[in-house]
Amino acid sequence: MDFLQNYGFLLATLVQQALLGLSLYFPLLSGQLSLASPGFYALGGYVAAILLVNPAFAGLRDALGNWTFVLTWLVAGLICAVLGLLVGIPALRLRGIYLALATVAFVQILQYVALNLDVTGGAVGLFGIPQAFGFQDRWQYLLLFLPLLAVTLLFTRQLERSRTGRAFRAIRDDELAADAMGIPPTRYKVLAFVIGAVLAGIVGAMSAPFLNTWNARQGTFDASIAFLAYVLIGGSRNMWGPVLGGTLLAALPEVLRPLQDWRLVINGLVLVLASLYLPQGLVGLFTRRRAPSARPAKAEVAK
Amino acid sequence: MDFAQFLQNLLNGLSIGSVYAIFALGYTLIFSILGIINFAHGAIFALGAYLTFTLAVGEFGINGILKNVDLFPGVEGGSPIGFPLALLLGSLLAGLLGVLIERFAFRPLRARGADPLLALVSSLGVALVLVNLIQLLVGAEIYSFPSTIYGSLPPAVRFDVGDTPIVIRTVQVIIFVVSLVILLLLGYVIGRTKIGKALRAVAENPATASLLGISVDRYILITFFLSGFLGGLAGTLVSTSFGISGPYFGVTYGLKGLAVIVLGGLGSIPGAVVGGLVIGLAEAFVPAQFSAYKEAVAFAILFVILLVRPQGLLGRAVIQKV
Repeated sequence: MDFLQNYGFLLATLVQQALLGLSLYFPLLSGQLSLASPGFYALGGYVAAILLVNPAFAGLRDALGNWTFVLTWLVAGLICAVLGLLVGIPALRLRGIYLALATVAFVQILQYVALNLDVTGGAVGLFGIPQAFGFQDRWQYLLLFLPLLAVTLLFTRQLERSRTGRAFRAIRDDELAADAMGIPPTRYKVLAFVIGAVLAGIVGAMSAPFLNTWNARQGTFDASIAFLAYVLIGGSRNMWGPVLGGTLLAALPEVLRPLQDWRLVINGLVLVLASLYLPQGLVGLFTRRRAPSARPAKAEVAK
Repeated sequence: MDFAQFLQNLLNGLSIGSVYAIFALGYTLIFSILGIINFAHGAIFALGAYLTFTLAVGEFGINGILKNVDLFPGVEGGSPIGFPLALLLGSLLAGLLGVLIERFAFRPLRARGADPLLALVSSLGVALVLVNLIQLLVGAEIYSFPSTIYGSLPPAVRFDVGDTPIVIRTVQVIIFVVSLVILLLLGYVIGRTKIGKALRAVAENPATASLLGISVDRYILITFFLSGFLGGLAGTLVSTSFGISGPYFGVTYGLKGLAVIVLGGLGSIPGAVVGGLVIGLAEAFVPAQFSAYKEAVAFAILFVILLVRPQGLLGRAVIQKV
């Protein structure tokens, strides 16, 4: 128990970051480089935080009790799904670096809106968010994050094996050919984008109580980069990649703690070295290279 | 908005917009040659400002590992070189930094024909290293250039339109003039010289250029040098006006620069100039009651332009592979 007391927060953070890495993995399944996850994560967190602290919802909270937390996940997931659709349908006409930049802009705009609204607490943010289900210790959030991770991984496995998953892969490998085969690319790309958005939103809703406070620093460009690094360092062609990458990279600053101030410098160096020496990601070290997918992931940088 | 207000906004917008333009040119040069976005460009922007500050003031600052280290020991008044020379040297050093980044973070990936996404992560890693190194070495303090760096120039240009005084800060004029000179110089180099011709050839098609006897690697290094130079110069110019607000101050500009190049058209040099001016002006014309959203303007423009005209104002239409 001492171990959980000491490292519980860190362990829960690792699982949480792995989940966020996965939220970026879904659009990548259909070949779309989207950096929008932190936006949906921040939005989900705000939805939960507002439902949990705003006086306007006091009656609802009294009536629902602990079910309020479950409600926050549902509402956050739903709102992110709707916004995901609204943003995804126009934005997913873009490819490669253009989509990445559009999603960066989306995250930035959300951040400035959050900074300037009253309901989000402006620059200060929202604080004093009650602990989910009256949790006493941070490690107990593992009881939320771990099942969510398990469910997400199961879902991902089933998805990848399904007709939809094969359509995703077809679009990733060659969108025009997939289109010619009668797979509507836009519909599937938007679907993949929305799944990622919903996951990020739910993780955000769970994280608002976990972090106890929520503010505009939760969804920033830095986070976009961090999540992308999780996926690419872990491996972008396998669902275990984001999990491994998220866990390891989130742990890295802790592992490097003895190096104190130098740890973020080392963190950056790790990113550089990993992209140089682990082009397939860490998972690439363990998986046999299958013949057809031996060529490196084709990046759609329009030129 | 009356005419005086309009004129004031116009001048402010042109001044900051011209800096956005030279900063964004650094991005667009690299994109036009390699088809990648160098996310370390914002860090170079910050570092350029720090380098020039150090050279012009003679001290590394009041915080961090290098605190109280005197760069020019024994020189009265800090630094023996004036601001213009420091600006030139600082920007040249930023250019060299660009060369180093290409050599160690991009070239090995290119040599292997790696996924361009990895180049993106690699450049993000470089940005993380640079920003945190700055923080370690000189701390997270805000640095302001001494007001004396512009020497004997009058503090401001003033004239009246009707009853309203129009005030242009000397700094703004200098920023605008320096940016303009740099833009014209760069336009000359790229449009009229042999180096420029080779650069354009490499941008058009590296394989063909190589067959024609152009050393592609060398021109990529030149591109990174120019890019770093422009980034560092822009960093200093901005910070002479607003001060250096900590190691992370390049991050926002880095993102805004992306908005600029997308607006103008990725890889288009005139596009970067037009994009910079448009975004600078758009920010300057944000009404006072919405000033909280000023920083979001560039991103709103970026988002809209991507949806309406992804190739940007002056870019070529994206050719899809069939």
